[in-house]
Amino acid sequence: MLEQLLIFTRGGLLLWTCQELANSLKGSPVNALIRSCLLEERAGDSSFQYDAAGAAYTLKWRFHNELGLVFVAVYQRILHLLYVDELLDKVLQEFSLVYSPRRTEFHDFDDTFRQLLKETEANSQQKRGVGQQNPRKVIEGKRQVGHIEGKGTKSAGRKSSGQTLGGDDEADGDADGKAKVFGNGKSNGKIGNGVSVRNANGNSLSGSSSDDDSIMSKNSHETAFDVSKLKLRNSKVHGKKGVNPLEAQKPSSKEDVGKKKQTKKNRVWGDAPPPSKLDFTEPRDEAGQEGPDVVPIVTDQGLSLMDKDEEDDGDFEVDLEEDSAKEIGDGEKKVPTKKGWFSSLVQSVAGKAALEKADLEPALKVLKDRLMTKNVAADIAEKLCDSVAASLLGKKQGSFTRISSTVQAAMEEALLRILTPKRSVDILRDVHQAKEQGRPYVIVFVGVNGVGKSTNLAKVAYWLVQHDVSVMMAACDTFRSGAVEQLRTHARRLQIPIFEKGYEKDPAMVAKEAIREAVRTQQDVVLVDTAGRMQDNEPLMRALSKLINLNEPDLVLFVGEALVGNDGVDQLTKFNQKLVDLSTTGSPRLIDGILLTKFDTIDDKVGAALSMVYVSGVPVMFVGCGQTYTDLKKLNVKSIVKSLLV
Amino acid sequence: MAADAEEEQVLLVSSLRQWDSWKQLQREEVALFSTFAVLFVTMVFFYVGKVLKRKVSNTILLVGLSDAGKTTLFYQLRDGSAHQGSVTSMEPNDDEFILHSESTKKVKIKPVHIVDVPGHARLRPKLDDFLPKTCGLVFVVDALDFMPHLRSAAEYLYEVLTKTVVARKKIPVLLACNKMDKITAHSTDFIRKQLEKEINKLRLTRSAISSADVTSEISLGVEGEPFKFSQCVNQVSTAEMSALNGQVEEVERFIREQVKP
Repeated sequence: MLEQLLIFTRGGLLLWTCQELANSLKGSPVNALIRSCLLEERAGDSSFQYDAAGAAYTLKWRFHNELGLVFVAVYQRILHLLYVDELLDKVLQEFSLVYSPRRTEFHDFDDTFRQLLKETEANSQQKRGVGQQNPRKVIEGKRQVGHIEGKGTKSAGRKSSGQTLGGDDEADGDADGKAKVFGNGKSNGKIGNGVSVRNANGNSLSGSSSDDDSIMSKNSHETAFDVSKLKLRNSKVHGKKGVNPLEAQKPSSKEDVGKKKQTKKNRVWGDAPPPSKLDFTEPRDEAGQEGPDVVPIVTDQGLSLMDKDEEDDGDFEVDLEEDSAKEIGDGEKKVPTKKGWFSSLVQSVAGKAALEKADLEPALKVLKDRLMTKNVAADIAEKLCDSVAASLLGKKQGSFTRISSTVQAAMEEALLRILTPKRSVDILRDVHQAKEQGRPYVIVFVGVNGVGKSTNLAKVAYWLVQHDVSVMMAACDTFRSGAVEQLRTHARRLQIPIFEKGYEKDPAMVAKEAIREAVRTQQDVVLVDTAGRMQDNEPLMRALSKLINLNEPDLVLFVGEALVGNDGVDQLTKFNQKLVDLSTTGSPRLIDGILLTKFDTIDDKVGAALSMVYVSGVPVMFVGCGQTYTDLKKLNVKSIVKSLLV
Repeated sequence: MAADAEEEQVLLVSSLRQWDSWKQLQREEVALFSTFAVLFVTMVFFYVGKVLKRKVSNTILLVGLSDAGKTTLFYQLRDGSAHQGSVTSMEPNDDEFILHSESTKKVKIKPVHIVDVPGHARLRPKLDDFLPKTCGLVFVVDALDFMPHLRSAAEYLYEVLTKTVVARKKIPVLLACNKMDKITAHSTDFIRKQLEKEINKLRLTRSAISSADVTSEISLGVEGEPFKFSQCVNQVSTAEMSALNGQVEEVERFIREQVKP
């Protein structure tokens, strides 16, 4: 079941939650969604997974950008609710009709929502019911037999409970034309328990009347389920309601799809009775019509039939609207090519009513290409554009603005948001805190070969020394020849103690001893240099994971070249992934920050910074931009954004 | 602009007539002169417009960490109710209104423009958009869950206090300790002292990296002395409140001190 459905403004005010589904959510999935998904420019995704103690939720959302509303549905992950998307769309549509900015209470929306929920649930059941009719009937048939063999009243009671749950009983009901009316009636009258009980009674009675003949013999003389009949019936049902043939065709075409599925499903049910026994509905249906007891039920359910009528009409309206919307969309797509400059001028003066996907498409494409020429990884540029599109769709465009500038402004905001660090990048503050606790602050530099780990380690050391922090280097690159000597040279030039154990030693142990040494000599910071390794090199990655897990450094800095394009993303994700996979503890240490090197060589192709930050969610702590010790900078977010969009 | 164009035209016409009567030599001189005249008139227009447009700002910003209670405070001030609660804000709440507690008064009151700036770190750059026209800052602190967020709160406060605009315009800051109705909430004194201590440490470590990013170097407090809020150029006061229960009188008083009714 749906756990919760919330409607809130982008400002954060809750406008409406479903009172009936007042299940207390464990943890705060909605806040988690906003913080780690919507604000991280991942709004283009389709769903969000939330894990907390004792709860695993899936969240789906919709934006109404013109009104600034967010609709979020929360449900248990194990339930793959198929109707959530449809429900959200409908709720969005309905709620935007009643919304006004000054109102903050929407209690009258409760009824509308209840109706929408029922509609979509019934809809999805119907779809599923058609798709999986045969197998369901097997269960149903079996169950009924079981019930009837027991006591009639008991079976009725049990059945009614089944119906209030609205499970497969409904789907079963949908199967045959007559019972379809019942089925939907049931779903409507779910609240009124009495009705469903009576109805169930009727069903079980009809069942028992059919039970008079021996069940087994009936099973054998039943014919296999005929889909064409069902199609016919369905079209009849729809036809009764005076729906135009076009609409009637639509469901039947859906059922065609269902038919294909059905044949597939049949095979899956290996342990069920063979197909020839599958059809239990036909005789029951007939029996139901024969039995005199059934008549009052029909009258009793007259009202729900009306309801059903309405609901169906509602559905068709939606369908119609969707269709017409599509048509309009198609039309508009064609129109702009024909439109002259005059109409576009008029449009730019008057402002456009609401931005649509088609309007944004060209501007987004230009922007995406521009990002990619700036060395942003392709899929990240794509995701960003999706997210920006999601934030702009349906928004009113002001007069005297072009779409491209609107899109550009939105993208600028998004980029600024991504690159602004979530946590403080004030390492000195952390160092002082560690000092107060009487332990050294350990920074581990990791990265692929030749990106400049040792060089930038020396630069960081220089910067720390300048701020009155005592630093020690640990030469844990015991792999590449000359690495220790290189570091020793830096140490000598900077007058910094260095801890080294030569080559062919386990780097994890070297680091551990270095930290111990630092504690003994009361050094504030230990900078651990590691061997460069390709992200796919399993043994070396294992060694790194061991080093990090054993020594629990305060900061794991990923050193990456600003020159890389798509590969930078791969490196960072693989490093993180390996650290997770190869970790022995439950909570693995991941990369905490990025050091971007060779920043002076790339001119304005600063895309790597964006790619890396987006993919890892950690900030760029330092930027290396030259050959000397002083060439270490903080990332200037604003200038990066500017050069990305120029 | 139309007026300018007209004037330009008039001037051009007059200069044309002059051209006819005057000699060739004077022609260029006149053209130069008319150009300057037009430029001058335009600039005067712009300046006058700017002066007329400028009015006393009445913007109060609500800042603070996520989950401190800014949005709740905002709606409490506006509607006198927290409604059905709130979730993390994605956009600033921005409205101009008469405070709810004053809405019953008959006299005409000047409305207040209150902006609730989201506390999420990624949205903080938005603060810069509002600061230039701000006349008061309410820094909301969660007194209940204070210690775990002490550092980030102090960092944010430090950031706010060292903004050039805040220091130059001496924008008064109110430390509003929220959730004071809870028994385990920390006292305002404690919170103030802890924040002072943290900012004192931050003072040393910030202003560190050599970077182009540091555009404004405002040093807080007096060198060589432990930091106190009283050393700030702008007035920093503290207040108790409980946004959820509607105890926001002290905040309202602060707002009315900055924005006279």
